[in-house]
Amino acid sequence: MVGVPERAGELGWKLVADMERMTWGRSGRDALANVERNHPLLTRGRSLTALRADPPGEGGDAIVIAAGPSIKRHDPIARIKRSGFRGAIIATDSALFYCLRNGVVPDLVVTVDPHHERIVRWFGDPSLSLARLEEDDYFRRQDMDADFARELETNRRILELLDRHGRGLRLALATSASAAVVERAFAVGMDVYWWNPMFDDPDVEDGVTRAVRRRNGLPCVNAGGNVGAACWMMAHAVLGKRRVALVGVDFSYYADTPYRNTQYYAEALALVGPDALDSVYMRVHNPHLDRWFFTDPAYMSYRQAFLEMAAEADCETFNCTEGGILFGDAVRFTSLDAFLETTG
Amino acid sequence: MVDFLKGNFTPKRPVTDGDGDGDARAELEARFERQALDRLGGSIAYVAKRKVLWDDEPTDPVGRGKT
Repeated sequence: MVGVPERAGELGWKLVADMERMTWGRSGRDALANVERNHPLLTRGRSLTALRADPPGEGGDAIVIAAGPSIKRHDPIARIKRSGFRGAIIATDSALFYCLRNGVVPDLVVTVDPHHERIVRWFGDPSLSLARLEEDDYFRRQDMDADFARELETNRRILELLDRHGRGLRLALATSASAAVVERAFAVGMDVYWWNPMFDDPDVEDGVTRAVRRRNGLPCVNAGGNVGAACWMMAHAVLGKRRVALVGVDFSYYADTPYRNTQYYAEALALVGPDALDSVYMRVHNPHLDRWFFTDPAYMSYRQAFLEMAAEADCETFNCTEGGILFGDAVRFTSLDAFLETTG
Repeated sequence: MVDFLKGNFTPKRPVTDGDGDGDARAELEARFERQALDRLGGSIAYVAKRKVLWDDEPTDPVGRGKT
C-alpha cells in the first residue's frame, strides 16, 4: 500500500469496520482445522456444561485477570491477595504466568486463540529453542508482561510452575486451540472443560457454528473476539457470577509506548510502511483518568464488541484495570480497591 | 519511439502490449494487500447476538430465546 492517504487513525477505523472478515482471514481456517484435529481428544476432558453445574469460587463475585500493559504498572494481584478475595479468579492464558509466579492458582484459565505456536508459550513450550526465537520476536518486543522479554528463562520458569501447579487446574479449553496447547494441557494434567467458540451466528442453519456443534455436541460460547472477553463471558454466562471485575483488560497501550512494542506492529508495518503507521493506530482519551491511550484495529474492535455485550449482560461489570480504553455506560470504571471493598 | 525502432529479429512467440500482465499484477497486489490486512485480524470471532448455546438446547432456532 504505497502513498497512504488516510490521516492519523483513519485507516484504523476502516479496518475496525472490516474486522470480522479480517479475523476469519487471520485465524478462521486454523481454528476449524484445530476443531477437527481435537475431535478424537474430546473424551479426555469434559464438556463446559460440567463447569456450569459446579462453579468455582464463593458467592457471586469474580475477577478476570488479563495480561494488558496495566498489569506491570499496577500489580493488581498483590491487592487481590491482601484483600482475601474469595470469589472466582478467572485468568486468561496470557495471565497464567503472572498468577502462578505471584502464588495465585486461578480457579479457571481460558484459552481460545488458534495460533499454532504462539499460544502454547503462555503454558510453557517444551519445544522452544533459540533458533525458533530468532524467527519470531512477537513476545520480546511487546509492552506487556516484561518477563516474556527474557524468553528462554521465562519459558523454563513457566514449564516448572505449570508442572508443579497445573495438575487439576481448571482449563476452559476451546476446541479451536492448537495441538501444542492441547498436548501441554493434558501433559501437565489440567482439568479440561471443552467448548466451541462461536464462529458465526449460531441460529443460521447452514452456518459454521451449527456445523461444529453438530460435529461434537459441545456448548458454543461467544468469545467476544478475544480471550479476555471470553473470560468475562465464562464468569457470568457459565459460572453465573453477578459481579465481574476486570484487571489487565486494557485493549490499548499507554501513550508513551513505541509502536514497535505493540502486538500488531509487524503487521501494521507490512501494510503501510514506517511513515504511515499513525494512520493505523487510534488515540483515545480516557475521561476517568484524564489520560490518553492508543490502540490498534483489533483491540478497538474488541472494545466495541465488549461494550455491546456488556449492555446485554445479566451481570454488573467493573473495569478495575485502572488504565486503557474500556469504559462506557455498561461498564463501571472504578479502582480495584473500591471493588474489593464491596466484596463479601 | 516505435516509429524509429525497426527490430532486427523475429520473436518466437507473439508479444502483446502487456495489458494482461497488468491485470495479473493488480490482482496479485490486491491479494497481497488482503493477506496483509488479514494479519491485523483478531483472535477469534465476535458474534453479536448470543452468549452461550448450551449442548442441551434444541438446535431449532424457532421459539428459542437468547441465552
